[in-house]
Amino acid sequence: MGAAPASRDVTSHGMGLAAPLALFFLVFFVAPLLQLLWLSLHNDTAALHWGLGQYLHFLTDPFSLSVLGSTLLLGAEVTAVCLLLGFPIAWLHQRVGPRLQTIIILIVLLPLLTSVVVRTFAWIVILGRQGIINATLQSLGIIDTPLKLLYTQFGVVIALAQVQMPLMTLPLITALGRIDPNLDDASCSLGAGSWRTFFRIVLPLSLPGVIAGCTLTYAAAITAFITQSLIGGGQMLFMPMYLYQQASTLQNWPFASAISIIFLLAVLAVVSVFTTLGRMSRGYGGA
Amino acid sequence: MILNRRSLMTTALTLGAMKAFPGLSYAQARPLVFATFTGSWEEAHKAVLVPAFRKANADAAIVLDPMLSVDQIAKVNAAKANPPIDVMLHDPGPALVAIGQDLAEPYPVEKSAYYKDLISEAQEPMGPAPFFQVVGLTYNPEAIKTPPTSWADLWKPEFKGRVGITNLNSTLGTGWLVEIAKMRGGSEANVDPAFKALEELKPNLAAVAANPGALATLFQQGQIDISPGNFNAIQILKARGVPVEFVAPKEGAIAFKTTIHIVKNSPNRELAFKLIEASLSPEVQTALMNPPYLIVPTNSKVAMGGEIARVLAKDTAELKQKFVFQDWKKINEQRSAWIERFNREIKI
Repeated sequence: MGAAPASRDVTSHGMGLAAPLALFFLVFFVAPLLQLLWLSLHNDTAALHWGLGQYLHFLTDPFSLSVLGSTLLLGAEVTAVCLLLGFPIAWLHQRVGPRLQTIIILIVLLPLLTSVVVRTFAWIVILGRQGIINATLQSLGIIDTPLKLLYTQFGVVIALAQVQMPLMTLPLITALGRIDPNLDDASCSLGAGSWRTFFRIVLPLSLPGVIAGCTLTYAAAITAFITQSLIGGGQMLFMPMYLYQQASTLQNWPFASAISIIFLLAVLAVVSVFTTLGRMSRGYGGA
Repeated sequence: MILNRRSLMTTALTLGAMKAFPGLSYAQARPLVFATFTGSWEEAHKAVLVPAFRKANADAAIVLDPMLSVDQIAKVNAAKANPPIDVMLHDPGPALVAIGQDLAEPYPVEKSAYYKDLISEAQEPMGPAPFFQVVGLTYNPEAIKTPPTSWADLWKPEFKGRVGITNLNSTLGTGWLVEIAKMRGGSEANVDPAFKALEELKPNLAAVAANPGALATLFQQGQIDISPGNFNAIQILKARGVPVEFVAPKEGAIAFKTTIHIVKNSPNRELAFKLIEASLSPEVQTALMNPPYLIVPTNSKVAMGGEIARVLAKDTAELKQKFVFQDWKKINEQRSAWIERFNREIKI
């Protein structure tokens, strides 16, 4: 390929190589997505009458909107917890010797090596009425009756934060690793304290990693059907369960399609906010 | 043999194509495909029903493809003219949906040797019921010393924060709601009393599980001590050493017919009929009634024994008297509205 004539457009090579994947995506992602859109534009379950009824139903129904809202809020909470807990780990990773670095990476990656189902069941054991947390608090005499942790919003957020943590920590480690350590010293020698160095130097330069981590964590948290239903239970309804209920139990495919299209657009909106922030941060970091 | 790039590619492509389109490798006929349920159902059918069928039919090829009822409907619906499944297994709600969507073939009743022996509730011309699922009260005998006797016991003040239920996505959840409605003067057409009762149950509710399987986990974790539950699911827990017992409430245990259907346009109609015959036969039903399966038989020629005789019914007459059958045609009419209402009202 290196011997190609200079007149040829060098970008054309890449396109050819991407064709198999592009074709795969076209057949197994774009086509079903279009089918979904087509289905959502019907007013009846047999998909015979065209119309926007399903969308109107969702967007004018306070209950459906509250499900969407609570799902998006859940994502924000999980992302915030992951960021607050993940950043110190990533920061520590930059400051320790190579052996400890390997251990930190191992600890961060370890959850990825077990299945989400297993990790979620572990959380049931931890959060349960006779679980580790309640047993410890009771034996210390801090509480008399067990706290209700399982099947609460708090439980879902904590479990999801642990399950999705690697998605936040890994981009942060990469981003912090790219910062020249001399900048810290330079900032200090110019008279800035450690907090000021952190907020003026480290944080802005790590923003691309923060944005990437937030996007990944957010998208994974709001679509985590298994963890949401096992830890949240049957009365906490989030979008994935709502969708499943309509499609599977009620066989109302057009409404389920409309829900997924609306969900997809809502997620795209949130992700594009993240991306815009990311673009702005790149300008900031380069300045 | 000389391996060059071309022959390697051809081999690879052929293998790939056979993998991607398994139909190629079967030439004309494909084996009989039976969509059973996942979990203990699959195990029971693999161990008892399949060997019995093969023995009676010269080792005919059969494949089990376990999946939920609703997924069976979706799969057959996607290829009505050439369905990938020959025999479907359904809970009462989905069975009516499948029949309503014209996915099931009428059962050749006149050809059947066993159909007339089934108890009358199991005789469904669009697909007979070879098994019952039974729902009653399940409780932890270590925490609850006096066994509960009625659905109404769930509302007792001493069970504050100890009761588990499931939402209406499952047959169990919906069937239970209907039973509660009946207890309070409602019916399959009117579950308002049940929703009022649920409102009163809230202080006692420790958990609303997303599916009946999750209830098992909650028992194991001590999160709940009492709940409506499936007789067969409890046997599995008991076998694993979890302290849990089943009682049929005095209002009657809810019996769900699990029906078995020949799929419309199946290319293996004859074998499908033979498999269903095997599932109705006293031999198979007796084997499935024994431990560890404990599946309630529907053939009146099967003598009840063991745990089933002890906890549920000694014979068909007592079974008919103690079991409550529900009108799923009526239930299906309003089920989606109930699910919506449950979504909105039940927040704990």
